[in-house]
Amino acid sequence: MKHRFLPTGLAGVLSCFAVFFQAVAQTPPAGSYSSSALLSTRLKTLTSRYGALTNLQSIGKSREGKDVWLLTVGRGAAAQKPAIAIVAGVQGAHLAGTELAVQLAEKLLAASGQDSVARLLDSKTFYIFPSVNPDAQEQFVAKPRFERTGNGADTDDDRDGRLNEDLFEDLNKDGLITQIRVEDPTGTFISSKDDPRVLVKADPAKSETGRYLVISEGTDNDKDGAFNEDGAGGVALDKNFTFDYPFFTPGSGEMPVSEPENRALLDFLYKAPNVYAVFTFGPYNNLSEAPKFDRTKTARRIITGILEKDAPVGDQVSKLYNSQTALKDAPPMPPTKGNFAQTAYYHYGRFSFSTPGWWTPKSPASADTTKGKAAAKPSDNDDVKFLKWADANNVREVFVNWQPIEHPDFPGRKAEVGGMAPFAKLNPPVSFLNEIADKHLKFMTAFVRQMPVIDVVNLRTESLSGGLTRVTAQVINRGLLPTGSEIGDRVRFVPKMKVELRTGNGQAVVSGRKRILRSPMAAGESMEVTFLVSGTGRATLEAGNAMTGLKSIDITLK
Amino acid sequence: MKKIFFLFLATLPFFVFAQQKPAQNDDLTGLRAVGSPANPKVPMRWNHYNDYAGIMKFCQDMAKAHPNLVKLESMGKTFQGRDLWVLVVSDFKTGNADRKPGFYIDGNIHSNELQGSEIAMYTAWYLAENFGTIEFTTQLLKDKVFYIAPSINLDAREDFIKNPNNPNSPRSGLMPFDDDGDGEIDEDKYDDLDGDGNIVLMRRKTPLGRMKQDPNDPTRMIPAKADEPGEYELLGYEGIDNDGDGQVNEDVAGRYDPNRDWGWGWQPDYIQGGALFYPGTLPETQAIKKYIIGHPNIAGAQSYHNYGGMMLRGPGAEEDQQYYNPSDIAVYDVIGRTGEKIIPGYNYYVIYKDLYTVYGGEIDWLALGRGVFTFSNELMSSYLLFRQKPGESNRFQNDEFNQFGKYLLFDDAYVAWKPFKHPQYGDIEIGGPKKNYIRNHPGFMLEEDAHRNMSFTLFHAHQTPKLDVQAITTKPLGNGLTEVTATIVNQRVIPTHSSHDIRFKIERPDYITLKGATPLAAMIVENADLNITKEQKTNPATIEVPNIPGMGYVKVRWIVKGSGGKYTVSVDSRKGGVVEKTL
Repeated sequence: MKHRFLPTGLAGVLSCFAVFFQAVAQTPPAGSYSSSALLSTRLKTLTSRYGALTNLQSIGKSREGKDVWLLTVGRGAAAQKPAIAIVAGVQGAHLAGTELAVQLAEKLLAASGQDSVARLLDSKTFYIFPSVNPDAQEQFVAKPRFERTGNGADTDDDRDGRLNEDLFEDLNKDGLITQIRVEDPTGTFISSKDDPRVLVKADPAKSETGRYLVISEGTDNDKDGAFNEDGAGGVALDKNFTFDYPFFTPGSGEMPVSEPENRALLDFLYKAPNVYAVFTFGPYNNLSEAPKFDRTKTARRIITGILEKDAPVGDQVSKLYNSQTALKDAPPMPPTKGNFAQTAYYHYGRFSFSTPGWWTPKSPASADTTKGKAAAKPSDNDDVKFLKWADANNVREVFVNWQPIEHPDFPGRKAEVGGMAPFAKLNPPVSFLNEIADKHLKFMTAFVRQMPVIDVVNLRTESLSGGLTRVTAQVINRGLLPTGSEIGDRVRFVPKMKVELRTGNGQAVVSGRKRILRSPMAAGESMEVTFLVSGTGRATLEAGNAMTGLKSIDITLK
Repeated sequence: MKKIFFLFLATLPFFVFAQQKPAQNDDLTGLRAVGSPANPKVPMRWNHYNDYAGIMKFCQDMAKAHPNLVKLESMGKTFQGRDLWVLVVSDFKTGNADRKPGFYIDGNIHSNELQGSEIAMYTAWYLAENFGTIEFTTQLLKDKVFYIAPSINLDAREDFIKNPNNPNSPRSGLMPFDDDGDGEIDEDKYDDLDGDGNIVLMRRKTPLGRMKQDPNDPTRMIPAKADEPGEYELLGYEGIDNDGDGQVNEDVAGRYDPNRDWGWGWQPDYIQGGALFYPGTLPETQAIKKYIIGHPNIAGAQSYHNYGGMMLRGPGAEEDQQYYNPSDIAVYDVIGRTGEKIIPGYNYYVIYKDLYTVYGGEIDWLALGRGVFTFSNELMSSYLLFRQKPGESNRFQNDEFNQFGKYLLFDDAYVAWKPFKHPQYGDIEIGGPKKNYIRNHPGFMLEEDAHRNMSFTLFHAHQTPKLDVQAITTKPLGNGLTEVTATIVNQRVIPTHSSHDIRFKIERPDYITLKGATPLAAMIVENADLNITKEQKTNPATIEVPNIPGMGYVKVRWIVKGSGGKYTVSVDSRKGGVVEKTL
């Protein structure tokens, strides 16, 4: 699928959007998401405007040759400071995450003049990967638009030896790939009672019998009985990571981390010891409600549940998220197999948080209780809820009303095309994200302020006879979060908490380990260290690691 | 009279042979020994270990000497930039080599496990040098194509050979890493204290130690008895605390396992020691993976390791047992059990059950990720020394390597204990087995074990599918229609698709195409006698079958218009090759 489509007349729309974000020169048109070209432009605009605080680099190319961008935000040597990684657009259909990540950067930089933000940018690094799967996201502006999760790899999705032999067809020529319903006695779908536009499975327990067959919009090009089962759009990157990898399922690729985009991301992260935590914008939510500790999942050889000491940290951050964003009523969005956010925790060993950022807000309860009507029970169907919200908020073009068509595979039968517009459910009009981005910025900065702070206190030097000095001190984590995750303590590529006495010329540590490597320190935890040192002059006691930052104090040996 | 008759029969083949192939032994000052090439175009001695230059020269010489049998390719580059050479061996004048059932062989994924390379090289050499002489291998090169990669860890092999090492170092590759988490990289390697090229053991005489010298063999340290005082303590491999952190040799070159870097069942380092960031972190793995995916005709594979005398099949982890179902295991059993006969002292084992758990190993990826029947041999075993299984007459002694070193290697295998002044440990002694002993074959044993292991692998390769269109029959159906039925047989044990492959549709189906007529309908015949068939509704010219079973067949049928046509049936199988027959 090589169709390209760039929105025309961008400039005009841009200028009116700039009213919302005065700090930013170029922003996307309201109601639309950025093409990869526009995303690049926005990022470059930021770096030219905030040269001292940003660095833009391409960490690799997608299968289709698009840049996978990393925007580094912060002042000074980025690699030398504790960092958080903000990763978006791994799940290609989630455009809102990319938009939020970019807006987060824009808003953070716009506020860089404020003292508190400046201090944050001085002491921490923000690694922002706004779009890890640009190939898939480009399908939003390409024709026909379909909800794509795969990158540009050629994949034989139905594993029949033929490549891309059954693509979608835009049968009603509206530029969107939606669905087809065909009236058929073997169909298992019926119209929802709550919203007749929505199709639901017939429930025999409620004496319902099916009326419609439902397929994707297209024809069975290869006449194998399956519709559009092998189209363009290769490996779904959010199924291609190492944790709980779903082998041989459509979109998961031939093996984990088979793609240049996720290799590039992991190569960067694994070689960045300063990353303390990872935030993902994507359709998995462990922030609204933190995962619970479950011993049965951690006692086995392969660990599949959050570790005991990490669970309360998850709780703490979840509370912070809910209080700072004031976002409520999140639907459960469990992780999918092989996703990035779980890999970031279980394998990369960092605290890893994920949120879609936006979800269908709860509609107010029906006020129509006149004439003695009982309040209608709100539907628990996601589509119904979404459409209700869209109607109430005047959000248009989210649903294609069913319209009859002649379907060549069902001659003489009643077939209709229609259904949810691609990308619509996960991605509200961009104008809805401004406030969401503000809330997430508030949360992220609050999180960063809770990160560990290493201090060395209560230093005592006792001169003993014979040129010996006993050095005693306490190392403390004054932050509100631990110096690292419990899982990270098992991961070889996560730096250990380190305390080291750096001796000068003619000095030697006579008793005590010169360099202590230890497991993470909880918030408020302290440890006493003691060294017996021979020699005189200046020595340095240093504590911390790349994730926490280093604290060093000078000691004078008499 | 009878005796003379038998004698005549027995010598007959030799007369025929002599007439067909005169002057075979002209270059020999004597008589060709059976089974060995008499005057190879590439002269080789199989009693030493080759460095990178040696491997490269061998590969180039082979390609030059046998242009119709050997082609040299590079799968890609190693971390340090060496070429991952692969010898493509086939009879390039017969058929299209790219479409023949393929067999992949590699060695030396663990760099200290040298001899896999020589065995792989021996295999290429043997096949090419005997082409035209030995009927079996000649036919094998007509039918099959071999992809032989002598070493897939060339950087660390070079390090093992050229630099001071012990028998176990490096097993890894040479990508630098901070092993001890102190932020420094490879800062405390082994140290060749006496400069002899071997990293051997350090011992210190002390009444506090619990070890003593074996009274029967001074090269050997044994534990003191429970009720007697010891004389020595062992201090590990030769080295000093280079970085002054109170530990010796704690951050050496490379501490990862290239055989835990593969894309099936991969687990991180805290579960599977030696794993890196994700499967395929290493450039070598990426290159080999690409090469194997680019050769979907590979139907069998062999990886050579050491040590222990084993022919191993997967799974590497108990969790994957469910993916080895009985029909695939039956195939492995045929090959593995034959192997136990071919290589005395080697056992046919299952990795997770009989060895240890391996997540993300190469052969699991080949077997379960690609559907390729794969073995991994652990070369060399103590059995080969005195042809005794441990636990027979020498039970609890465990000194066969020392004895062998004494009686057959004349003390060449050990560095005798000698005093050394150590900066941290003071007066110590250093000594012990040389790096090329224990795990790697002594020179005189290498060729025999190479031949035996090759024979096992050739048996395996021989069992990759061999397809034939056995019969094409026709039957008039009236109304101007004719039924054409073809029987496709697989004359070998390995099916075109393992049952794991069929379950997950790893490889596409086999295509059976009728040419010379326009079929109206096509079907797979499930039972010819009872006329039970399953119709294929689309594209009747090419019938897709999920598998052509080992030592089995499929029957397919077309209904065509007209009669008496010249029908050609062609079979196109990724792992089974292409065959065609015309009625």
